[in-house]
Amino acid sequence: MIEVLGRRPALTLSVCVALFLLISVLPVNDYVLHILTLSLIFAMFASGWNLTLGILGLKTLGHHAFFAIGAYLSAIVAFYGGVSPWLTIWAGAALAALAGLLIGLPILRIRSMPHVAIVTLAFAEIVRLIFSNLKDITRGELGFWGIPPFDPVSFGETTIRFGLGNAWGSYVLAGAFFFAVQAGLLLLLRSRPGMTFAAIRDSEAAAESLGINLSTWKLAAFALSAGIVGLSGAIYAHYVMILTPTSVAGPEMLITLLAIIIVGGAGRFFGPLYGALLLTGSLELLREFGEYRMLLYGALVIGFVFAAPHGIAGLRIGRLRRRDRRGTRERSSAA
Amino acid sequence: MADGLLLVSNLSVRFGGLLALDGVALEVRDGRSTAILGPNGAGKTTLFNAVAGAVRPSEGRILFAGDDITSIPPHRRCRKGISRTFQITQPFSGLNVIENVAVAIVSRGVPMAAALREAADYVAFVGLEAKSAAPARTLSTGQRKRLELARALATRPRLLLLDEVTGGVDQPSVPELLDLIRRLRVERGITVLVIEHKMDVLHGLADDAIFLDRGRVVTSGSMADIAAHDEVRRIYLGDADAAA
Ligand SMILES: Nc1ncnc2c1ncn2[C@@H]1O[C@H](COP(=O)(O)OP(=O)(O)OP(=O)(O)O)[C@@H](O)[C@H]1O
Ligand SMILES: [Mg+2]
Repeated sequence: MIEVLGRRPALTLSVCVALFLLISVLPVNDYVLHILTLSLIFAMFASGWNLTLGILGLKTLGHHAFFAIGAYLSAIVAFYGGVSPWLTIWAGAALAALAGLLIGLPILRIRSMPHVAIVTLAFAEIVRLIFSNLKDITRGELGFWGIPPFDPVSFGETTIRFGLGNAWGSYVLAGAFFFAVQAGLLLLLRSRPGMTFAAIRDSEAAAESLGINLSTWKLAAFALSAGIVGLSGAIYAHYVMILTPTSVAGPEMLITLLAIIIVGGAGRFFGPLYGALLLTGSLELLREFGEYRMLLYGALVIGFVFAAPHGIAGLRIGRLRRRDRRGTRERSSAA
Repeated sequence: MADGLLLVSNLSVRFGGLLALDGVALEVRDGRSTAILGPNGAGKTTLFNAVAGAVRPSEGRILFAGDDITSIPPHRRCRKGISRTFQITQPFSGLNVIENVAVAIVSRGVPMAAALREAADYVAFVGLEAKSAAPARTLSTGQRKRLELARALATRPRLLLLDEVTGGVDQPSVPELLDLIRRLRVERGITVLVIEHKMDVLHGLADDAIFLDRGRVVTSGSMADIAAHDEVRRIYLGDADAAA
């Protein structure tokens, strides 16, 4: 499992949590916190998507649909129903998971990866069109504004507030959700599901000959993956407090997230976090380039695909492997 | 019939216009190791694929231990006790050797830590201990064949399908590998079906043999009888007289 998890995953995750906590007590300015908050939300999105795209190796390209479903459902129920976002985000995640199951079913039958890519991409486009056409509810591309932020939380004297404009609270909230999800995923990937996913990715024929029910495991991965992405979408909705179908389910979101996964390291547990930190940060820096931003982004991705095909998370493992190889050569020449 | 572990009747497999198996019927009795012989493209691997559930027959029935398994998926056939290795090896290349084997054990519901311990036994049995922590992609072809044997055994099969298991194995270690396979039968009571291209390998490994050509069973019987068959001699021993 070292290829997926890296050398000491629990330690690496603990270090990340410690850094996250350290930043929360340092006097960091609100703009930086805002970027980190977005990074954490996108890192959660990417880690959910990475389950099917990277770890299971299915070329699913429509996960921004689940982000939109989680975001819109949670926002709609909270806005119209007056229900607390603390509750509605779970409804958003659940609906996204259900949608994941539904789209997973036809995909089980498709063996050709380009077709999987096209079907999932088309699904995302359908979801985007549905949200833009439900104008009475979502106001379409005019934007669904007035989405309530998470209710404040009080500890004795201190009250923590959330939503855009409350940078510190939002940062802590995004981090808490992100690291909780990562801890759960790490437990999962270190046990039977992780091993089973790796087996399915490397050889479906061998996996099923060893008693693995491909349909069950793929559907489970799909639902979980979509659920995590939906949850990140819901958290996003109550953070930015305004949604448009194109901003959450449009091509720019697709490209951004694919870039995060590829640059971070597809199929690597820590890839999404590294990718999200690097790319969300650089996306902000590139804002002054306006329309050329996505172009530069594309160039960055291409550069990575050539220079570091396993992404940031793969850099260290690549080095270790080279060292192993050298070690073997030395040993065999000594013999 | 009573001790027929595997019973195949009128089995046909079609790939588009090609009839890879054409009305094959055979019986493998419990505890009798059987060799599947035949020239390239005869349909030997296809027969394994059909028995293991990897290809869907266009006609015919497959009974295993008295149950009709013709239309159940591969993972359920594995649960029933059918296991196989692949002619072109299919390692889980991102996992190490122990983990490759543990996949088969956790899929039976054994917890991870216990599965890794149990996997170590199978890895030792096939003589790969030194490679335990090596990623499967770093193994040689011969080592991969051994890995697949360990993985297949870890499912605790009653019937083991070995597709050219000595292919790519370095010559000096072939006898040892064959000895392992013989022990499976004696010590664990596993019935073995083997596809092999080397006749010398088969003597002492198989009791019975089935000779396939162009998707049909040409002849079947005891290993000694089949080995003496003209067609078999021609293909396996390059016997020019028999060919004429
Ligand atoms: N999945 C497939 N799709 C199409 N044709 C196939 C497929 N699998 C096998 N065939 C064809 O079926 C025939 C039988 O192939 P098979 O692999 O069973 O032969 P074999 O006896 O195992 O040969 P070899 O000794 O070379 O391994 C061949 O003509 C092969 O090309
Ligand atoms: Mg073959």
